[in-house]
Amino acid sequence: MIIAHGWQRRFFLLVLLALLLFTLVYSLGLGAVSLGRREIFYIFLERVTGAVPADVAISAASRDIILNIRLPRVFQAALVGAALSVAGATLQGLFRNPLADPYIIGVSSGAALGATVAIVSGLTLGFAGFGAVPIMAFAGGLLTIALVYHLSRQGNHVPVMTLLLAGIAVGAFLSAFVSLLIFFSGERLHQVVFWMMGGLGGARWSYLRVMLPYVLLGCGCIYFFSRELNAMLLGEDTAHTLGIDPEKLKKIFLVAASLLVSAAVSTSGIIGFIGLVVPHIVRLLAGPDHRFLLPASALCGAIMLIGADTLARTIIAPAELPVGIITALLGAPFFLYLLRQRKKIRYF
Amino acid sequence: MVGVNLQVLDLTVNYGAYTALDAVTFSVEKGSCVALIGPNGAGKSSLLRTVSRLLKPSRGLLYLDGRDLQKIPLREISRSVAVVPQDTAIDFDFSVEEVVAMGRYPHLQRFQKEGRKDREIIAEAMQITGITHLASRSVVNLSGGERQRVIIARALAQEPEILLLDEPTANLDINYQVEFLELARTLNRERGVTIIAAIHDLNLAAQFFDCFILLNDRKILSLGRPEEVLTPQNIRIAYGMEAVVQRNPLHGKLHITVIKGNGTHPEGPARPGIHVIGGGEETVPLLDALLEAGYRPSVGPLTREDSGHRFAVYHALRVITLPPFSPVSDSFHRQHLELIKEAQVVVVPSIPFGMGNLRNLEAVQEAMSPGMSVLLFEETPVAQRDYCGGKAQLLYESIKNRGALVFRELKDLLSFLREQANPASPGPVYIRKALLSHKASHNLISGGNCNAG
Repeated sequence: MIIAHGWQRRFFLLVLLALLLFTLVYSLGLGAVSLGRREIFYIFLERVTGAVPADVAISAASRDIILNIRLPRVFQAALVGAALSVAGATLQGLFRNPLADPYIIGVSSGAALGATVAIVSGLTLGFAGFGAVPIMAFAGGLLTIALVYHLSRQGNHVPVMTLLLAGIAVGAFLSAFVSLLIFFSGERLHQVVFWMMGGLGGARWSYLRVMLPYVLLGCGCIYFFSRELNAMLLGEDTAHTLGIDPEKLKKIFLVAASLLVSAAVSTSGIIGFIGLVVPHIVRLLAGPDHRFLLPASALCGAIMLIGADTLARTIIAPAELPVGIITALLGAPFFLYLLRQRKKIRYF
Repeated sequence: MVGVNLQVLDLTVNYGAYTALDAVTFSVEKGSCVALIGPNGAGKSSLLRTVSRLLKPSRGLLYLDGRDLQKIPLREISRSVAVVPQDTAIDFDFSVEEVVAMGRYPHLQRFQKEGRKDREIIAEAMQITGITHLASRSVVNLSGGERQRVIIARALAQEPEILLLDEPTANLDINYQVEFLELARTLNRERGVTIIAAIHDLNLAAQFFDCFILLNDRKILSLGRPEEVLTPQNIRIAYGMEAVVQRNPLHGKLHITVIKGNGTHPEGPARPGIHVIGGGEETVPLLDALLEAGYRPSVGPLTREDSGHRFAVYHALRVITLPPFSPVSDSFHRQHLELIKEAQVVVVPSIPFGMGNLRNLEAVQEAMSPGMSVLLFEETPVAQRDYCGGKAQLLYESIKNRGALVFRELKDLLSFLREQANPASPGPVYIRKALLSHKASHNLISGGNCNAG
């Protein structure tokens, strides 16, 4: 309940935040090369203050692993996990359909087509530290949502059911092109398939710098209208009679969710299940009020993706699994467990 | 609280090429309780949707408290107009309190938490609608009636001046329908909330509303008090059916009865003449069964207020009409004797006898003749219906002694009549015996289908 249990929600968010920090720090030490917490601490100390106690020696390799490989990777996992979870929660609410996931309206297929075209054609354009693949993926995702929106438009309103179906149809159509390209991709096949499975192996600071504003903008924008999203769950007409313009909000939510998904997919490929499962877990625990669901999903998604990615890069070290495999392998059974427990677990 | 709350002038609404409302003009005073009636597709929902700004008028103007509705910001409208739709499907696991609290959204600034006043309003809305005990329950698991109460509580939390109800009872059981409309009535009386409700059940509407707007074919056919709107003519025009409008004896509000089969009866060979004595509630099922079986009984003598009289007049049966609250005078007694003599069968229903109608029983005794069947229908023994200190029982005895037949159940009485009409079909033995003693049966012609009880 919104009113009586405000403190419980704040407490829950604080717990999640603490858990996120712990996961962040803990996962930094894990990997092909195991690093002690003390060493990591000194690396940060050196980075921040420029000096460490004289008796501490930090190897250049360790410094490089932490600062240029693991730190951006962990941050990217957090951002992508948060972005996908928030987009999933938003689209589930917008479509009033618990089966919706961030990829349901075709953004991922568009992004995949963009990325595949870039990989297969060997495109080499670059911009602000970005290769052709993320740029094309980002553009592909946003173009797709624009197409889906205009296809489902009837006069000046967009029925969500049409939007959903148009999204699925356009997604299937674009996926066919992706398959076609893969079929003819020859020696680049592996690269395309690997990209599509999703992974954070390519994480770098430059990606983070560009992704961060989109993720903050998308999440912030959706959170700004979280109360309206609640009202939309009672139906658009009811939302309207509560003083909300559903058409305007649909546009806002779609654009914001698409930004989040495109940003995530273009840098990390198509990571499944996080965006579907995380909002459900939070909803099962604490109800569907978006004012709480959105921040909690963001934190929870970040924690889960960092965890899954850490597992992905340690489980068969020094090689690594695509993180999408881990999220699906762990997410699906956990989700089923929660569904079966459903009645007993809403705490507040 | 007098003043015009809502004014609708020359309102026309088009959906593409389809016209949903055509030049509708009316105004609703503050604090009134208006029922919006009319057949499906007449424009009831479109009108409510336009008032709540879900639809845009193609032409015409709406004024809310004297202000042009189209120029008021949506959020401001939602602070004075709340809507309860037909049904709200909520698939997400909100608690009842959370849903009711959504009614405060129009009053809250962005990111503003519900304050003490809001919480009081939410608690009060739940209390009025009787859902306080459900506060922490999930709306997903509520019954239809409970969910509709949650929705009205949410609407109340908006603190509306106008409450629009769009067929709010359409999916509810009869007990919840009444409960819901009583709640609406209470809100109207105690808080002066103007209520405009689209209702398809005319009798429910008549029971709870004192002002009517009848829409037909996207226009207003009639508006005003129930007596002005709910007329047989208006109902015929709007719904294309015949109806009888009466006062309900229990609450005195208008009651509309749709006439089955438009008063026509199966065509068939002539049936023997039947006369039914007396009236009252108990007579009506008997008369109805006789009509079903193809007879056209005569009835009487009865006063105009009698249910048997209403039935007889409606079905154009011969009836002796007494002046209101009068006993059977000599002249009416003579008329009654005539009517009995014309009949081949006289039926005495299971009605009470008092000093006012004892004379009818005397008439039976007086007019009884050997060629006539007298059937006493005794659902309850006459001793329990005798309010003349035993006089009715004595008359019954005498009538029985002169060859009258007694039936305890309506279906036996009907099968006796059928038996008389069609002697070939086997029937209970006692009827055969009765038949033998009634020579009148020779001129009875076999009838069509008779549906006995």
